[in-house]
Amino acid sequence: MTALVEVTGLEKSFGDHRVLRGVDLAVDSGTATVLLGPSGSGKTTVLRSLNVLEIPDRGVVRIDDASVDFASLPRDKRERNRAIGALRARSGMVFQAHNLFPHMTVLGNLIEGPVQVQRLPREEAVAQARVLLEQVGLAGREDAYPAQLSGGQQQRVGIARALALKPEVLLLDEPTSALDPELVGEVLAVIRDLAAEGLTLVIVTHEVRFARDVADQVLFLDGGVIAERGGAEVLEDPREERTKQFLARVLEAR
Amino acid sequence: MRRVLILLVLLLGAILAMPAIAPAASAADAPSRPVVRVGTEGTYPPFSYIDPKSGEVTGFDIEVARAVAAKAGWDLKIVRGTFDSLFPAMDAGRIDMIANQITINPDREAHYLFSTPYTYSHGVIVTAAGTDDITTLADLKGRTAAQSQTSNWTQVAKDAGAKVQYVDQFSQTAALLAQGRVDATINDNIAVLDYLATSGSTKIKIAGDAGDEVNKQALVFPKSDSALRDQADAALAALKADGTLARISQKYFKSDVTVPNAGQVHVKGSDVGRSTAQVVRDAAWPMLRGTLKGTIPLTIVSFVVGLLIALLAALARISSSWWVRAPARVYISIIRGTPLLVQLFIVFYGLPELGVDLPSFPAACLALSLNVGGYAAEIIRASILAVPRGQFEAATTIGMGYARTMRRIVLPQAARIAVPPLSNTLLSLIKDTSLASVVLMTELFREAQVAASVSTRFMALYCLAALYYWIICYVVSLGQNALEKRVGRYAV
Repeated sequence: MTALVEVTGLEKSFGDHRVLRGVDLAVDSGTATVLLGPSGSGKTTVLRSLNVLEIPDRGVVRIDDASVDFASLPRDKRERNRAIGALRARSGMVFQAHNLFPHMTVLGNLIEGPVQVQRLPREEAVAQARVLLEQVGLAGREDAYPAQLSGGQQQRVGIARALALKPEVLLLDEPTSALDPELVGEVLAVIRDLAAEGLTLVIVTHEVRFARDVADQVLFLDGGVIAERGGAEVLEDPREERTKQFLARVLEAR
Repeated sequence: MRRVLILLVLLLGAILAMPAIAPAASAADAPSRPVVRVGTEGTYPPFSYIDPKSGEVTGFDIEVARAVAAKAGWDLKIVRGTFDSLFPAMDAGRIDMIANQITINPDREAHYLFSTPYTYSHGVIVTAAGTDDITTLADLKGRTAAQSQTSNWTQVAKDAGAKVQYVDQFSQTAALLAQGRVDATINDNIAVLDYLATSGSTKIKIAGDAGDEVNKQALVFPKSDSALRDQADAALAALKADGTLARISQKYFKSDVTVPNAGQVHVKGSDVGRSTAQVVRDAAWPMLRGTLKGTIPLTIVSFVVGLLIALLAALARISSSWWVRAPARVYISIIRGTPLLVQLFIVFYGLPELGVDLPSFPAACLALSLNVGGYAAEIIRASILAVPRGQFEAATTIGMGYARTMRRIVLPQAARIAVPPLSNTLLSLIKDTSLASVVLMTELFREAQVAASVSTRFMALYCLAALYYWIICYVVSLGQNALEKRVGRYAV
């Protein structure tokens, strides 16, 4: 079976700093992949490259039937935007700081993409949005503004907004790092449900225990390359010294 | 971004095309009687002033001009402006004739055509009542004289060695003299007598004659329009022959100033016997009219167009392309680095030399819009940059392009940040419209000046003008509060 997401030879520099030095990975449909690694290891850059929020210098990213070779992007701006747009539309993004649109209600946030970009009829988009809100446990909060919600609720709206566009894969960038500890659980529970339903997930997180629960694949990044990869057992019994040290530090901090 | 640029070009094109279309349309259905636009102050009694009772422009020169027009078969259209704007307006082709007791002198004859004279007068030196060391031109050496910039008396004062302080109209000069801010002024004897009769002022006096030369005053025409001048001369000759000129003169001066050596001139004063309260009451409506027809439309049009320009300039300023950024930078720098007054003069008196001949209202709107655009562009740019980066990213991930991201996500949030500083810009604009009188616009402050020139009740009338401005600004600030609540309703 071909993987749903396939990344080969991903490289990216910010100025002189080489953040990614050739990353290869594959994600099978219906699985959850956890990206781990110390700060500055490049895990967030990998995730953002999948959604083309960062434009890699080299490498190929393919999601389903949309593929972009960043070493040979089309020169024509319009053609380039079309290729990037097609790849981007295959994934949904959940930000660490949720980045909800503060001037729109919860419902407005959820239907903005479907109505404005996908040209879905409004009633249809609203009906879908209500189902999603139910799914993330926020039925009845349609008319609230983001500022009226708690951090955990905001992040659950952020997840629902990303799902509203029916992405093939959901990307989550440290979805609980900005939350107060007592709010982390509700967000992780929602993500666990999504994994259980068979949605394809790629998650950057520091929550090792949660990763152990949901991960089908664990990728440990260090210095811009994947230092170790495997199933959830990598978290129990890492082979690489760097992975051991990192896990020890993270678990100690808990 | 390309669409924004095209919009910008279209907008500019539309502004530039406006004057080209307008005259073509009016030329097509030209009336059989030629329209002659006559420039006059309207603040220079008894020659040219607004009758406080009827609100119409009247005065000796105006009645002569009307009589000439009737004889010559013209449709007379009166255009009011400050004295110093009259000759520039003629140079710019905005008026065809000046009727404002203009004295013939060699300098002016070099650039303009004069009709046969219809007024003979002489200059007098005016001082404060208590000044007793100025009686002749020789005494003016080293003293300060208040004069209109383009008046022939200015040269007389300079030749006498006086330091010249420039003012707009005679009633201001009189106030400056009474307050001891200037030492003297030279002006036409008739104008001074009218002021003394009207104001009943005992604070200033005629201190002596400014030489013994008799001055001749006539209608002024552009050098190129000798046909119009010849028609006026023919009409003046006929009016002299049938006694019309003498009759108009008797009405205003109880003597015939249309011939040399008229003898004693009696001036009854163009405005006597009104109390201050009555002056204010009479001026209240014309000032309100000036507000409704001048100040407010000018403000609204300039602000709306200015915001549009500002938005485009702000987006251009944050563009990734140097070719888009650079012109916006230059535009903002020029607008913020030059006085609004200079911008108004360039648009109204300068652009006609390049063939762009806008009427007063569009010209004032254009200058004020460009001015607002320059200032507001920086406010809008800063507000856009204040919207968090994550908002752009979130919009990008749900598939929005640049234009939709701006319209749906960024600008609504930037609006909330921009409302208070943009309100400041609007309040400034309301007050800046008072400068539009230099481009012959009749707005609130011009009406106050008109009323003050006839009645000389400066304090009361200018306080009334201040009150009008304050009321408008107060209403705007109420609107600001409401708008702030509306655009910020999502913030807790």
